[in-house]
Order: sequence, then C-alpha cells, then structure tokens
Amino acid sequence: MRYFLQRFLQLLLVFVLVTFSVLVVMRMGSPDAQTLAIKLAGRPLTPAESQSLIDTYSLDRNFFFQYLNWLKNLVFHFDLGFSPQNGLPVAELLKPRVWTTILLGLYANVFGLLIAIPLAVNQAYRRDRLFDKAGNLATFVAVGIPGIVLGVFLKLIFVVNLEWFPSIGDKIYPWDDLSLHFQNFFLPALTLTIPVAAIYTRLLRADMVMTLQSDFITLASAKGVPPGRVVWKHGLRNSLFSLVTAVGTQLGALIGAAVLVESLFDLDGLGSQLVVSVLSSDLFTVQSFVAIIVLIVVVVNLIVDLSYALIDPRIRQARALG
Amino acid sequence: MTNMTDPTDPMAPTEFTDVVTHEAHAALDDQIDARLKQVRRRRIPKFGVLFGATFLTVLLTLTIFADFLPFIRSADTAVRIDGKLMSNYKLGPGWDAWWGTDGNGFDVFARCIYYARYTLWIGLSSTAIGIFVGGALGMVAGYFRGKTDRVISILVDCLLAIPALVLAIMLVRRLDDIKLDYTWLGWMTRMWQIILTLSILAVAPLARIVRAQTMALREREFVLAARSLGSSNLRILFREILPNLVPTMVTVAATGLGILIAAEGALAFLGLGLETSWGFMINANRTRLEKAWWATVFPCLMLFLTVLSFNLIGDRLARRFDIREAAV
Repeated sequence: MRYFLQRFLQLLLVFVLVTFSVLVVMRMGSPDAQTLAIKLAGRPLTPAESQSLIDTYSLDRNFFFQYLNWLKNLVFHFDLGFSPQNGLPVAELLKPRVWTTILLGLYANVFGLLIAIPLAVNQAYRRDRLFDKAGNLATFVAVGIPGIVLGVFLKLIFVVNLEWFPSIGDKIYPWDDLSLHFQNFFLPALTLTIPVAAIYTRLLRADMVMTLQSDFITLASAKGVPPGRVVWKHGLRNSLFSLVTAVGTQLGALIGAAVLVESLFDLDGLGSQLVVSVLSSDLFTVQSFVAIIVLIVVVVNLIVDLSYALIDPRIRQARALG
Repeated sequence: MTNMTDPTDPMAPTEFTDVVTHEAHAALDDQIDARLKQVRRRRIPKFGVLFGATFLTVLLTLTIFADFLPFIRSADTAVRIDGKLMSNYKLGPGWDAWWGTDGNGFDVFARCIYYARYTLWIGLSSTAIGIFVGGALGMVAGYFRGKTDRVISILVDCLLAIPALVLAIMLVRRLDDIKLDYTWLGWMTRMWQIILTLSILAVAPLARIVRAQTMALREREFVLAARSLGSSNLRILFREILPNLVPTMVTVAATGLGILIAAEGALAFLGLGLETSWGFMINANRTRLEKAWWATVFPCLMLFLTVLSFNLIGDRLARRFDIREAAV
C-alpha cells in the first residue's frame, strides 16, 4: 500500500510539473498581459475583451498564479478553457472527436494483443525453427517502419490498387453504421495495429522463451500436463510482465501515431485536431489537449503498476516487504 | 584430451601413446579447424547489418557528392526535355528521370538524394546532443543516487509523460513564436528548432538506460578499487565508468537515430518540419497517389530504408554487446 501511495504521489507530481511547464511554454515571450491576451485569442481584441480575458485567467499575475487559476478551473469546474479561434469551449471542440481516437486506440490494442499473443506463444514454443525466424524478421521490420510509410503503403495497396476503401476518411461510428464504420476505420486501425502487435510480440516472445526454460515448466511437462496447457496456462501467465508494462509505455507512442494516422487518412479525431490547433497557434486548446493526454498517460501507468500485483503475486510480496 | 596423453603420467598406457597422441592431435586439429571456421564465419557480418551499412554508405556518398555526380540533377531546377517543362507528374520512373518528376517538374530522385543531407544532419546532431545531455544526466543520477537521482528521475518521467510526437509538434511551433520575442535566439532557424526538439526527445530514454547501467557499474570491483586508491568522483565517472558505457551509448544511438529520423519525417509530414525533407515530399504528393505513385512512394522508400538500416545496425550492436534495453 505504501508503495502505491508513493507511486501515486510521484505521478501527481509529474502531472503538475508537466502541465505547468506546458503552460509556461505556451505563454512565455509576451512582455505584458495585453499582448498575451491577444496571442491567446489569436486575433486583435477590444480593450474590454482583453480585460475580461485577463481577469478570467489572471493573465496579469505571474505564471505560477496563472497555473493555479487554470488548475482550479480544471479541478473544480471541469473547465478546459475557451478556444477563441473556434469560438467554442475547448471541451465542446473535443467532444465530437473523442470517440475517433479512443476507438482507434482500442482497436490497435485489442487487435495488437489478439495477433501478438498467439504469434509470440507459438514462436517461443518453436524457438529457432523456421516459424520463429520468419516471425522475428517480420516483427523486426514492423517495429521499425515509420508510421507515415506504413500508412502510405497500405493506402497504395488497398485504396489505389484494390479500391476496397474510400480514399478520404469519414468518422462514422459503429453505432451509426457498422459496415461504413469498418470501411472508414479499417486502414487507420491497421496502420496503428501493425507496429503495436509487433512490439507486443517481441516482448512476449522474449519473456516466454525465458519462462519455458524454467524448472516448473519441465516439472509440469514431466508430470504429464498436456503441452498445450503447459504453454498456454503455466507459460503464458508467467510471461505477461513485460507485455503489461508495454501496454502502458506504448500508450504515448500510440497517441503520437494516432496524430499521424488521423492526418494521413483524413479522419477527424483528437490527433488531427491537435495538429490543426498547433498550426494555428490556438494556445488554450493545445494546453488543455496536452494536459488531457498527460493525464491519460499518467493514469494508465498507475493502473499498469497496480495490475502487476494481480498478475504476479511475487511482486505483491516483494513490494509489501520493500 | 590433453591429460589423456600427458607424457608425465606414469599410469598412461605407454604402448598406445603414439596412436593416442596421433588421434588426439587429429581431433584437436579438427577442433581448431571448426573453431577457426566459426570465427571466420562470425567475422562476416549478417546479411542485415551488411545491407544497412551498404545502404547508408551509398546514401552518404551520393548525398555528399551530389553536386559533382553527373547522374544527379539539381534539386531546385525543374526538369526540361526538349525545352518542355516536365511538370504535373509528366515523367514516370524511367530513363529520363529515374524516379519520375513531381507536380512542379522536379526530379524525384535528385530531391530524395539532396534531402538526405538535411535528414541525416538533423538525425546525427540531435542524437549527439541527446547522448551528451542524456548520458550526463544518467551517469550523475546512477552514480550519486539519493536526491540527485530522484530529481533527475522525475525530470525523465516528465519528459516521457508527453507523447514524443505531441511534444515535438508543440515545441517546434512554439519556438517559431518564442524566437521572435527573444533577440538572442536570432540564430535559430527551423533546422535548429527541429534539432533542439528532437534532442530533447532523445534525452529521456538515453538517461534512463545510462542510469541503469551506471548503477550496475558503480558496484563493480574496479570502481571500488579506484575509490580505495583515492580517485575522485569525477575521475571515477570519466575514467572508470564512461568507457564502459560507450557500447551502450553507441547501440542506443544507432537505434535512436532511426527513431529520430522517422520523427523528423513525421514532423515534416505534418507541416512542422523543413520543406526540404522526405516527409514534406510525401505530404505534398500523397493526394496524387493514384495519378503518380512514384512521387510519394520513393520518398517513403528512402525514409523506410534509412530507418531500417539504422535499426539493423542497432540490433546487431545490441546483440554484440548484449544490451537488452535497446533490443526492442
């Protein structure tokens, strides 16, 4: 328990430090509050407008106060700020796009795991045989391939040559129309899934190879437990450690990849909106965006930490003792 | 083998000594032969790393000497054949323009080769800065432990909490504005903004790996020996620990170069990088994929092969030095 509390406080500190630095980076370089207000709004303001902006966000105080003001609004009012360029609160800007990105991330992880687990288990079981070597080569290439390159190649094959999918994406959700959703989301999801599946496979295979050499596996086989059961139950459960960590650490990379993939396939999601906001210097929106992303990353990492104990009782014990 | 034929052994069967030694020698010769073969085989690098090194050498040679090589056109003058401008993707891949021409009539091959300069320079210099800063942070954190370690670890955690690409696009865009407000940042071109941003991305993973390695190294006997001889911390860090970190740093640098080059491509693709970049070419031509696949596919291929080459070399080094962190 002490460990988790410590970890929680550490991650809270990370969240505060990162969001504060982001605020400073977003707002630095303005000599006075009026200029800052104009920069944040992205257009010329009347004195009354700029005064109201300054008052709402205490722009005339130092960064520390501005940060406290921002944090107070976020925590007590769930107020992410206002995007003057779109004339919308940031939350309203994000809401219609949230599901695109969540679905893409979900597909990448679910299908990534569905591909990775059988592949890695079979590779580890047939270690150094042809299947394993082919799998290693394929995952090595897939891990390294840049997202844009993979996306363009997939587009070339499936959109230009086979004409299976539309060339411009449209965010249609599964609860609206399942087949149209599939047509629009399949390629972006595949572009995200391939590297994720490859990384998971490599991690799980490495762990699994180690596990299958342990004494308890030999014992289980000697006892007459059928090989399938030895590998899938005894072996897999004890090899999940790196995989679970990777689901947490890959999240950041996945969000980065989503930014690319949404732009490449013209899907209207959080990632493509982030690029638009960054390019148009919509500072409020970018700041809130990054804060949300950091929050998600931090929370997922905390969950991953907690789930170690569920997977492996030895960790629970070691942490309890340490 | 040898103790069987030991001549000083009084119990050895003297009658058969000759035969035994002869056979033993033969066996030993076989063994040596096998070992030599193994060594020789090992000296020939695997296909992957050979491919990577060859590709990078060729690319580097072409891009450095591009101005002097007759078969590479200029990247900034449109192709004209019989006085006619080859714009609007007129030329496909062929003898006149190896990789075709793009929308403005520029030679895709020439552009791919010339732009490798920027990509490689950005990758190399940001890796160098990343190694310098990240390595120093990691060494200090891993060696001194305690509060120093805490502070640096939190810093690294913070850098890792923002997804790399999000941090990159945010920083590059903000540096555009910030450099206008601070006159001492006048030297900063787009290129330096990207180098600075990418090196910040490289710091955190490097610091992490170097810290872990330093923590293991500081417990080793030679560090203890140096310390008991009265060496200062600085001397131990630079003379005892740093040389042992070189393999790790080289390995991580090779893999990291691939990642940073991919990130540079991504930045340019999103419109936040250089316009003289493969990523920018991909973005500029991707809507015409149907009409002119060559203008998009060849820059993609260059980006892919360059990243792959660095990954192959990094993977080989990681195996050679047995560094697990860099392997995945």
